Amino acid sequence: MKWITRERPKIDRIACPWLIKRFIDQEAEFIYVPFMDVIEKAKEVNAIPFDVPDVEHTHHNDYCTFDYFIQKYKISDPALKTVAIIVRGADTDRHWLASQCSGLWAISAGLSYNVADDHELLQLGMKIYDALYSWAKHLQKEKHTLQPFENLLLDVFSAYLKTKDGKRKKTPSWAKELKEIIQDHIDTNLSLKEISKGLEISPSYLSREFSKYFEDLSFGEYIRKLRIEKAIELMQVHSYSLTQIAYLTGFSDQSHFTRIFKKNKGQNPSEFRKQMQKGKSGTNG
Amino acid sequence: MLAEIAHNSITVKWITRERPKIDRIACPWLIKNFVDSQAEFIYAPTDQVLEKAKQLNAIPFDIPGAEYSHYGEECTFDYFIKKHKLTDPSLLQIAGIVRGADTDNFNLAPQAAGLWAISAGLSFNIKNDYEQLETGMKIYDALYSWAKYAQGEKHSWNPNL
Repeated sequence: MKWITRERPKIDRIACPWLIKRFIDQEAEFIYVPFMDVIEKAKEVNAIPFDVPDVEHTHHNDYCTFDYFIQKYKISDPALKTVAIIVRGADTDRHWLASQCSGLWAISAGLSYNVADDHELLQLGMKIYDALYSWAKHLQKEKHTLQPFENLLLDVFSAYLKTKDGKRKKTPSWAKELKEIIQDHIDTNLSLKEISKGLEISPSYLSREFSKYFEDLSFGEYIRKLRIEKAIELMQVHSYSLTQIAYLTGFSDQSHFTRIFKKNKGQNPSEFRKQMQKGKSGTNG
Repeated sequence: MLAEIAHNSITVKWITRERPKIDRIACPWLIKNFVDSQAEFIYAPTDQVLEKAKQLNAIPFDIPGAEYSHYGEECTFDYFIKKHKLTDPSLLQIAGIVRGADTDNFNLAPQAAGLWAISAGLSFNIKNDYEQLETGMKIYDALYSWAKYAQGEKHSWNPNL
């Protein structure tokens, strides 16, 4: 199978070929052409265009093309998921998504500056993504498993815990900030245990402080609530399958998603979705 | 001594411990690009480095007991910069990234954690140290170009945006 995208790749257009070669089609071929020519050339040489606007294999909302390939081909390798977050952050200029994003971006931008030939660049890039994958699979040490986003949480919490008690009551700005951080990272693995370890306070204390500002919910309950809200939002976009939705909302797999969803909404996701659609068509506008 | 040897166009050899990850790749890159482009590098088992250094008339680095090594919080890369009075601001920025990645202190530079992940993975995948050095050279060339020329660049996936 031939794949085509625009020239001068940096992140997604190197990472996706790597993903295709390693997980989807070993024999795949890649073509880089000027942006203006991608669609026309794709027809001419019978190649699938990717990472350009208005094609199937491309960015969807906050997710980059790499994410789309993982969803579409239902690849459930956890190490790949770690790599996906790094790629997404580096590709969409949201380096706070993972602590490795800035380094991947710097190296990729520099490689693209130094290497004028796109295929030579791809060859080097293959080594880099092989390396990132091996690191994610075999070398992530215990102490480094703290998600970068959890580090951010830590910073916010530390600042909060340092403020005087009297000030606390009217200073829920940290809570607002925290809310945004959580919303942005709803598809990553969040663990209260890790956060409290970093803060050197007990998980139960952290949990108590948390619930004061988060609708009386525990950390876990709050995260689940947000995930389910996000899932319902995504259900309204018809093209997403439930498997895709489970992936996009940070559930480990579809059965986990179904179980939590049913527990919260009293219905499993497919029933819920059907009813939601019925409700919609039943209105008179 | 170095200048003398270079002047007599004798190849200077450098020796360090095998299975390099950060410092033992970054230092050869620094030497090649800023100190001596003809330098040669040897990787040896840790317990043989100092002995082999004498045998082969090579300068040992990044190993306890050598002049070119860690000092306090600073790694061998920092020592090379100091010793050779290098002042290129891009190089100094890379030094912070290398120090962070090498000393497990990722707060030193935002790029340190990514450099560490990629370097640790390369070392896992490539069992030949010299092959790893070759790939590593390209990575530090890239970091340097990024620091010097591409740092302000923002990334947008859609040229229409």
